[in-house]
Amino acid sequence: MSSHPMTSRPLYFIILSFLFTFFPSCGGSSIALAQAEPIDIATTQMIPDSEQVVVEPVTSLIAADHKYDDGGMIDLSWVPSIDDQLVASRVIGYKVYRIEDEGEPEMISELAPGSNTYNDQSVERGKLYSYFVSTLSINAETPSVRTAPIEPQREWLNYELLNVLIMALVLGGAVIYFIETARRGKKLFVRKIAGLEAVDEAIGRATEMGRPILFIPGILDMDDVQTLAALTILGRVARIIADYDTKIFMPVSRSLVMTAGRETIKASYQAAGRPDAYSDDMVTYITDEQFGYVAAVDGIMVREKPATCFLLGAFFAESLILAETGNSVGAIQIAGTARPAQLPFFIAACDFTLIGEELFAASAYLSGEPKQMGSLKGQDVGKAIAMAAILIGILTVTIGDAWNVEWIQNITTGLVDVFSTR
Amino acid sequence: MEHFALWLGGFLTLGIFSFLYKDNPWYKLTEAIYVGISAGYFVVVYFWDNFYSKFWVGVFPHKRLNEAGELVAGVEPDYWLIIGGVLGLLMLMRLLPKVGWISRWPLAFIVGATAGLWLINYFASFVMVQIQNTVTPLFGADYNASLFVIVGNIVVAVGTFTGLIYFFFSKEHKGAFGSAARVGIFFLMITFGASFGYTVMSRMSLLIGRIDFLFGDWLGMIR
Amino acid sequence: MSTKAKEILALALIFAFSLIFYIGKVLGWGAVRFSTTVSLIVILLVALSLLWILILTIRGHLVERRIVFLYVGIAVALPLFMTLSQRIAISPEVEAVYNTLEGLPEGSKVLVSFDYDPPSAPELQPMAEAFLYYCFEHDLKVIMMGLWPQGPMQANMAIEKVLSDEKIKSKNLKYGEDYVNLGFQAGYEFVIQRMGSDFRSMFPTDYRGTPYEQIPLVKNVKNFSNIDYCFNLSSGFPGTREWVQIAVDRYGVTLGAGNTAVQAPQMYPFMRAGQLVGLLGGMVGAAEFEFLTKWIGKGTKFMISQSFAHVIVIAFIIIGNVAFFRSERKTGLKR
Repeated sequence: MSSHPMTSRPLYFIILSFLFTFFPSCGGSSIALAQAEPIDIATTQMIPDSEQVVVEPVTSLIAADHKYDDGGMIDLSWVPSIDDQLVASRVIGYKVYRIEDEGEPEMISELAPGSNTYNDQSVERGKLYSYFVSTLSINAETPSVRTAPIEPQREWLNYELLNVLIMALVLGGAVIYFIETARRGKKLFVRKIAGLEAVDEAIGRATEMGRPILFIPGILDMDDVQTLAALTILGRVARIIADYDTKIFMPVSRSLVMTAGRETIKASYQAAGRPDAYSDDMVTYITDEQFGYVAAVDGIMVREKPATCFLLGAFFAESLILAETGNSVGAIQIAGTARPAQLPFFIAACDFTLIGEELFAASAYLSGEPKQMGSLKGQDVGKAIAMAAILIGILTVTIGDAWNVEWIQNITTGLVDVFSTR
Repeated sequence: MEHFALWLGGFLTLGIFSFLYKDNPWYKLTEAIYVGISAGYFVVVYFWDNFYSKFWVGVFPHKRLNEAGELVAGVEPDYWLIIGGVLGLLMLMRLLPKVGWISRWPLAFIVGATAGLWLINYFASFVMVQIQNTVTPLFGADYNASLFVIVGNIVVAVGTFTGLIYFFFSKEHKGAFGSAARVGIFFLMITFGASFGYTVMSRMSLLIGRIDFLFGDWLGMIR
Repeated sequence: MSTKAKEILALALIFAFSLIFYIGKVLGWGAVRFSTTVSLIVILLVALSLLWILILTIRGHLVERRIVFLYVGIAVALPLFMTLSQRIAISPEVEAVYNTLEGLPEGSKVLVSFDYDPPSAPELQPMAEAFLYYCFEHDLKVIMMGLWPQGPMQANMAIEKVLSDEKIKSKNLKYGEDYVNLGFQAGYEFVIQRMGSDFRSMFPTDYRGTPYEQIPLVKNVKNFSNIDYCFNLSSGFPGTREWVQIAVDRYGVTLGAGNTAVQAPQMYPFMRAGQLVGLLGGMVGAAEFEFLTKWIGKGTKFMISQSFAHVIVIAFIIIGNVAFFRSERKTGLKR
C-alpha cells in the first residue's frame, strides 16, 4: 500500500506547529510604552457651562503595545474618575477616543462606569495612535489628557505559550523517538485489541457462506486520520479476501477515497498473485451527501446481503442506520470510529467495536508500519504525562486545601501553570 | 406549484419510510432520486461557493461603480489564490494513473497545513485546558462543597484517570492496571449509554419534524 | 388475501386518506384535535397494548421489529393531535445562555453562526427563532453567517418567521442596520481563524451581494473584538468545537452554543472549563429557551411528542431485556 504523506517526516509537523504557534509575525522590536502628555483639550461644550454636571477626568492613562501579538492590539489602562469612586457617583460611563496619525478623534468604544482597561484590537502596524478617555456625566464629557503617539509592534515569539511549545516538543520528540526505534527493527509492544481476531473469522465466514463483504471507510475525506486508519485495515482485509477469492463491495462518499481504496485493493490482489481477479467496480463512488450515501448503502446491504460488514472510519448521524440495516440482513459487523457520539450505536448494534483510539491502534497493529507504531507509543507518553499530572494535581490541591501547606499548594499552582494556555 | 411540491415531498418522505416495512420499488425510486439530487446539488454548491466565489472572484474581483458612475477602488486581486488553484488542479491528477503520483504533493500540503494548525489548537483547547480544569479540589475550595458536588468531582477525577488507563496501549491490561482499565471501560459504557439516550432524543426530533411536515404542512391536520 | 393484495390495499388506503385530508385542507377544514378525554383514552389504550406485548414476550412470543416502528410512529404522531401540554423545567446550561444575553446592553453586536442544514432544523431552528426574537425584542444588533452552505438559508427562514411576529414587526427593523446576513463561506475552521483578524476578508459581500463596507451595521466591525457575544448553532463539523478552539481560546470571544442532542454531551467539558458560557441541547434545550424568551415555537409544541417517544423507547428497552434474559434462561447460556 502506498505510504500516506501524513505519516512521513513527523519533524515537519513539529516545525509547522512551532511556526503557527510562536511566530505571529516575521519582524520584531521592543515593546513601546506611551506616557501621558499634558495636552490641553477643552471639555465638550454641549450645553451652557452653568448647567453642566462636570466630573473629574480619568488619570494615569497609559497606552501600551500588547505583548506577543502581530501588532494588532494596544492595551489601555487608567485610574477611573474620582467621581466614579463615590457612593453617589455622577459618572455614567466612559468613552474611548483614538487619534490615528494625527487625524480627527474617533470614538471607538463606550464603557460602563468602573471600567479601567480597554484593548483596542483594530489597530494596524505602521500607524501612530494616541488615545484619550472621556468621563461621561448625564450632560457632559470630561476628556483626559491625551497619550503620546504609539505604534503597535509585532513580536517574534509568544512567550505566554512557551509551556505549549515545551509540551508539544516533548510529545513530538517521543513520537519521533519511537518511530526511529521501530525503524531500527525493535519490536514495540502494543496490547491485544479485542475485535482484531474477529477480522479473519469474519472474512472466513463470508467465504464459507458465499456472500460478499461490505467495507465502509467512513464518510470523511483522505485528510481525516480515521479514513487513513480504515484504509490501512482495508489493506489487510483485501489481502485476505484476495487469497480466499471473496467478493468485496466498497461504496464510498469521497472521490479521493475511491481512488485510494482502488489502489489499496489492487495492490493486495497483486501481492496475492491474482491481479486479474481485481475489478474497479469493487470500489464505487456514490455521493458526497451524507444521507444520500446512506440510502444507497442501505440498498446495497439489503440487495447484496453481505455476510460481513466493516464499518471503520469517521461516521456521523448515519452510523445507526448503517449498523441496524447490517444487523437486519444478518451480517457480522465489525465497527470502529473515534467519534464518541457514534460509538454507542456501534456498541449496541455491532458484534465487535473498536472504541476511539483502538481504531488507530488496530491500524498500527495490523500494518506494523514503524510510523504508525511509533506514533501510537509516542501518544502513550502523552497519556502517561496527563495521568501523572491529573493524579498529582488532584492530590496536591485536595491535600493542600485541607492542611494549608504552602509547598504543596505551590506544586499545584506550578502544575496548573504548566497546563495553562492563557 | 405549491401543491405539486407538497405532494412530491409527501411521496418521497413516505417512500423512504416504506423501507421500514421492506425494500421495495418505491424506496428504490426515492433513494435514486435523493442520491442523484444530492450529488448534483453538491456539484453546483461547490462550484459556486468554492471555485467561483473564492477563487475566481478573488483573482478577478468585480469592479464596482459608485452612485456617480465612477469606478470605486475596490478589492485588490489576491494572486496568492492562484497557488491554491494550481494545487487543486494537481490534486485532480489522481484520476490519471500515469501522473497520479503528482496528487500526493497538494495532499501533503493540505494534510501538513491542517495538522500544523490543528496540532496546537487541539492540544491547547482539548488537552491542556481540560487537564488544567480536571485538577480541582475533590471536596471543593476550603472544603465547603455540597455532597452532590463532591461526588461529581470524584466521578470526574476517577472517570478521567481510569479512562486514560483503558486507552494506554503500552501495557497489558493485567493486575491492578487491568482492574483500573475495567473501571475505565465501565465509565465509558455509562457515558455511551447517556450519549445514546441523548441521541435517541435527537433522532426522535428529526422524526417529529417529518411527521409535522406530513400531518401539518401536507395534510393540514395539525396547526 | 395474499400479502401482495394486502400491500396494495394498504397503499390505496394511504393514498385515499392523504387525498381526503389534502382536499379538506384546501377547503379549509380545521385542525384535528383530540379532546382531553379522548387523549387520555388513547394514552390508556397504548399503555395497555404495551402491557399486552410485555405479557406476550414473557410467554415467549416475540414481537417483530415492525411493531416497534409502528409504536414509535404512533408515539410521535398522536400527541400532535392531543390537547396536552408539558411543564418545562429550566436547566442551568440554558439559563446561562439567557443570563448572558440579558447582560448585554442595547445596541450590542451579536454574531450568530448557522452551522447546520435542514435535517437538523427540527432541533436547531426553534433555538434560532427564539434567539433572534430575544435579540430583536431587546434591540440587539444581529450579524448572521454560516460555515455550512444551507446555514444562511436557515437564517433567512428564521428571520422571516420572527419578523412576522406583531411585536417585532412594530419595531420596523431595517436590514443592514439592525440585522445582516453575511452568507456562507467555505473553508471550515479556517474561516473562523481569518475572522479573528478581519471579517471583511472572509465576507467581502453579504448574502445579497452588498459590499461589506456599504453595510452600516458591519462596516466598522473589523474582527471579534468588535463583537459582544457569539452564538453558534451547530450539528456537526465545522461547529461548536471549532468555535471553541479558535474563537474562544485564541481570540477570547464570549461564546454560547445550541447543539443537536447528539453533540450536546460532548460540549459539557467545555462548559465545565468555562470555554462555553451556556448550551442549548436538542429540542428540550430549544423548548426551555423558548420558555425563557417567551417565544412559543415548535420546540415547545413538540416536547409532548418527544416525551411520549421516550416512554415508548423505555418500554421497549424493558421488553427487549425481558426477551433477552428469557432467551438466556431458556438456552442456559450466558455471555
